[in-house]
Amino acid sequence: MYHQTIEMMRFLTPPLLNELRRRLSLLSTVANKQLPLTCLLPPHHSAPLKRPLYTGATLRKDVPLPQSKEDQTEEKLDLDIWKSVMRFQVPAVEEEKQGGEEGGGGAAPSGPGGGVAGQEEVSPLEATRELVVMWRQAGKLVPEIMTDEELGILAEFQTKSSKKKYLKYLAIKEGHKNNHKQKQEKKKAERSERFLEDDRIRPGGVRGEEGELRNTFLLQFWGRSLDKLLGWRSAQAVVFGQPLVFDMSYEQQMTRREVENTVSQLMEVEGWNRRAPDPFHLHFCNLQPDGGYHRELVKRYGAEAWERLLITSTEQRHVDLFPRDDLVYLTADSPNVLRTFDNSKVYIVGSMVDRSIQSGLSLANAKRLKLNTARLPLDDFLQWETGAKNLTLDQMIRILLTLKESGRWEEALEHVPKRKHDGFYQEKPQQDRDRGSDKDRRFSGRTRGDTGFRAGDRERAFSRRASVLKSGDRAIRNGDREGDSDKEIRTGDRGDSDRAVRTGDRGDSDRAVRTGDRDGMEEERGSTSRHKDSVFSSRDTVAVRNGDKERGSTGRHKDSVFSSRDTVAVSKEAAGDAENRQNTQTTTRVRTSLKTKMEDRNSTAKSGKKLRKEE
Amino acid sequence: MSHDCGVIICDFLITDMPSSAVFASGTAKRTAEYQKKRAEEEPDFPRKNKRVKPPDHPLTASEWKSLKLTTPNPDRFDVRMMSSMLADGTDINVAKSLLAYVAMDTGTLSYELLLRYLTLCVGSGHHSEVFDMYDIMRSRFRTLDTGASSLFIKGFSRTERWKEALTILENIKRAITPSPRNYGDTIAGAVLHGDGDTAWALYAELMEKGLIPNQETWQALFQCGLSHQGHEDGLQSILLHMRDNQIYPEETLAKDIKAWFESLPEQKWIGSWSTVDPRGVCRSCQAELESIQLSREEYAQLKDRVMGDVIQGRDVFNKTTPEELESFKNFVKRKPAFDVVIDGLNVANIGIKGNQSQTLLEVVSELERQGLVILVLGRKHMQRPSRSWDRHDMSLVQQKAHCFFTDNISEDDPFLLYATLHSGNHCNFVSRDLMRDHKACLPDGATRRLFFKWQRGHQLVLSSYTPGKRVRFQRILSYDTIVQTHGGSWHIPYDENGAERCTYEVPQKWLCLTKAK
Repeated sequence: MYHQTIEMMRFLTPPLLNELRRRLSLLSTVANKQLPLTCLLPPHHSAPLKRPLYTGATLRKDVPLPQSKEDQTEEKLDLDIWKSVMRFQVPAVEEEKQGGEEGGGGAAPSGPGGGVAGQEEVSPLEATRELVVMWRQAGKLVPEIMTDEELGILAEFQTKSSKKKYLKYLAIKEGHKNNHKQKQEKKKAERSERFLEDDRIRPGGVRGEEGELRNTFLLQFWGRSLDKLLGWRSAQAVVFGQPLVFDMSYEQQMTRREVENTVSQLMEVEGWNRRAPDPFHLHFCNLQPDGGYHRELVKRYGAEAWERLLITSTEQRHVDLFPRDDLVYLTADSPNVLRTFDNSKVYIVGSMVDRSIQSGLSLANAKRLKLNTARLPLDDFLQWETGAKNLTLDQMIRILLTLKESGRWEEALEHVPKRKHDGFYQEKPQQDRDRGSDKDRRFSGRTRGDTGFRAGDRERAFSRRASVLKSGDRAIRNGDREGDSDKEIRTGDRGDSDRAVRTGDRGDSDRAVRTGDRDGMEEERGSTSRHKDSVFSSRDTVAVRNGDKERGSTGRHKDSVFSSRDTVAVSKEAAGDAENRQNTQTTTRVRTSLKTKMEDRNSTAKSGKKLRKEE
Repeated sequence: MSHDCGVIICDFLITDMPSSAVFASGTAKRTAEYQKKRAEEEPDFPRKNKRVKPPDHPLTASEWKSLKLTTPNPDRFDVRMMSSMLADGTDINVAKSLLAYVAMDTGTLSYELLLRYLTLCVGSGHHSEVFDMYDIMRSRFRTLDTGASSLFIKGFSRTERWKEALTILENIKRAITPSPRNYGDTIAGAVLHGDGDTAWALYAELMEKGLIPNQETWQALFQCGLSHQGHEDGLQSILLHMRDNQIYPEETLAKDIKAWFESLPEQKWIGSWSTVDPRGVCRSCQAELESIQLSREEYAQLKDRVMGDVIQGRDVFNKTTPEELESFKNFVKRKPAFDVVIDGLNVANIGIKGNQSQTLLEVVSELERQGLVILVLGRKHMQRPSRSWDRHDMSLVQQKAHCFFTDNISEDDPFLLYATLHSGNHCNFVSRDLMRDHKACLPDGATRRLFFKWQRGHQLVLSSYTPGKRVRFQRILSYDTIVQTHGGSWHIPYDENGAERCTYEVPQKWLCLTKAK
């Protein structure tokens, strides 16, 4: 009843509306406060008590018609109170809003358009800015601050959806940036607090004043020194290192954002390479000076740092820089599998990011230039049935660097993101694998063969490698067969008959391994020890030579290695039976893998899940 | 899903189940549903319902306050509450009470909240509220975003203040191209208030901007033609536009078209709902429909474009190599014109896995029995004997048909298209592939539609295949499903209400319009 009287009063005195409205809300809060008391009663008692306002309304509807109409208008007035609130507030809020906007706009001054305030003369950029502001108010995902450059890009987009997508991207990026900043500030605050704490406990302790040196017997290893060391290593790579080409000819196929992503990845590539113990000599080929790649690279590195970078960037094509036979294009669409990493080859990686999958682009390029192609043996080592087999550029360089260093695929393919596959195939003893039960046909069929990653071989190979690596010899690391034959040649220098025996040996032992013949294995072991001896002796000579005269001798040494490789080829042919069989196996293996690939492809009815990788 | 009754048409054994033909509307939907049913669904975990439940009557400020306090997450309570009101279609007074509470509580209302309220108003047709909102928002904010503008256009165009929608439309244009729906709403407003000229001017502007008009817009224009005479050419051009772009009207629009034709004075059009029999004759007026076969010029044009755009594309190396393409061209030149070209891998994979060569052989044998010159396209790996590619089967295939095997890394579809097109208009091809990716390679809509028409007329699709039984193909329709006229009559295929048609399917129902003699 109390409420009702007040409501009636208010109804009768419209001019006092606001005032009374306030009181009403006050009163209703009072009513609310009374509620807990009523709640002490059982629920069915409290329900009617809670109702009075509405029962009152229904009661009023019972009174004669004209008054009920008035009642409704009264209720409407009540409901529309916000309209008058908004109308009255208009001017003040408008000013406040403009002020806030200019503050929020920050880097982008609102210019003359702000003064004219949405009148006829509005530049397209200004219109876009207004659009962004309004979208932000409408609760769309829009960044707080936009540079003029970003606004320009936004204005260029034709459709509403592309504008929205771009703004969403910027907003998310901004969010990440802000989060990062906050985290850093928090850390900084914590650190300074900790220091203060330290000072309080031990004033004038280990840590001196800001910038003062720590009192310690250890020599400070400055970042500068590391930079210098890495710089020298890169410089050495530029002179002597194995080239690795990044093909920068995909600008046409990429959107602006994809080019930006590519350049980010390339920067990582350069970083990984610089920090590697034995870096590649990076070549950025097909890099047009006025192209998008170049623009982004210079923008991200800064012109000065870009000039100082110890890489080779050129407008020339890779086929003009290197002999065609040495080039191998790494592409996920290649039918050939890269078994061994060859230090004499120049590998090419296509610098492309394709957010919308564009299969076969790099393969098409390689086909056009008639280059050799290869893909990483991902299927042989990783349980990876479906899903795109494309890797980012930084993953690619880490794989290649590891491969160059250790020659172990298992180690190199650790750099493939774990989320993409279900882990490595389980290691099995060599004999089991080679007997090739039908169950793991696919596995044994692929890993068996000439690559030299047979378990028995491998250990030997690595012990040898470890010893030889230090001498800086590259050829040995080419993989086992190469190494093996290399070794034969070197030892062969001492006596032709000896070599003949050894090659025979090796053929035998190979066969022995494959058939799992115990006797053969023993025989091999015997020959292994002999091999080992010879390797050590050869290493000794290398070491001596190295001590002799550093640069010249390495060069000479390299030459000799190369020439010896030529002879390797000859001797390989001569090796005959065993070797040939291996070759045929290789080809069939490639075919089987391809066949399964084809079948997969057809069975999925070209659903687009093609196996691919764009490096 | 059984295909047992067969009819022989143009030498092919064909199942008479037009409803299940690949290009018939709704087939894709049905197949998808069937397969969904088959794959045992995992129990769907109901997503955690985070929505707040709107009340069913207006609340006072205090009640709103207590409601806000009881919700688990009071963050942005007002906006979330308004959104759920939108979703539930709550009474506008409830929303008003919320606004009143927020305005009293915070002293102002956010743009976002107002925008949602506006959506509610426009959605439920509270015109006076829309006007009030317009005044408030215009004075309160410097500009309106596209969402609010679109809503105001929609709201205004239904009222006597529809002309203001035109100004709002102009405002949108300053920042962005208005959407077809914006235009559509404005046109509908003009039509509603009898201003046909403005409506047609806006329609011309819409077309000029290259936007694709909504069917509702056309419906409005036909209704305009119904109430006011004139603009006959314009309306006929809409129908021709549908023909050129292979657009099919929906049932409601088809009804309006029918009504408009029948309302034309002194022309005495009679409209009827009809279907077409397999021979391509309208069951209502017995007129013969346009043939699915391409004319000589169309065929030549299509052949050129497919050769240039699909097979070579932007980069011939993407799908093949120039050498391979050249050798294939020579191969085709050497051989007689083929009657049917088979996508070997596609056909072989229809049957059971591991038995591919046998499937292929059966299909080839069936076609050979009909005395056709056959070309089988495959990849080189098919020639290597294996479990799925039996040496004996493959040699039989090679005896019965000409064969060409592409490199394992080349795509075989482009070769299929080339060989089929090269052999002439009579040549068909066998594949289940819908060739959508190749259709997409074609640059302009006209060629794409030509391709689709050719495809519908020349693609043989295997019905369900069981080894050992006779191979059957789905019927090729002999008529073209497209809006068509012969001066004295119109035949318009339309989408039934509720029929979900994929882009590569065509409708089965027709509107037949004839002039009474």
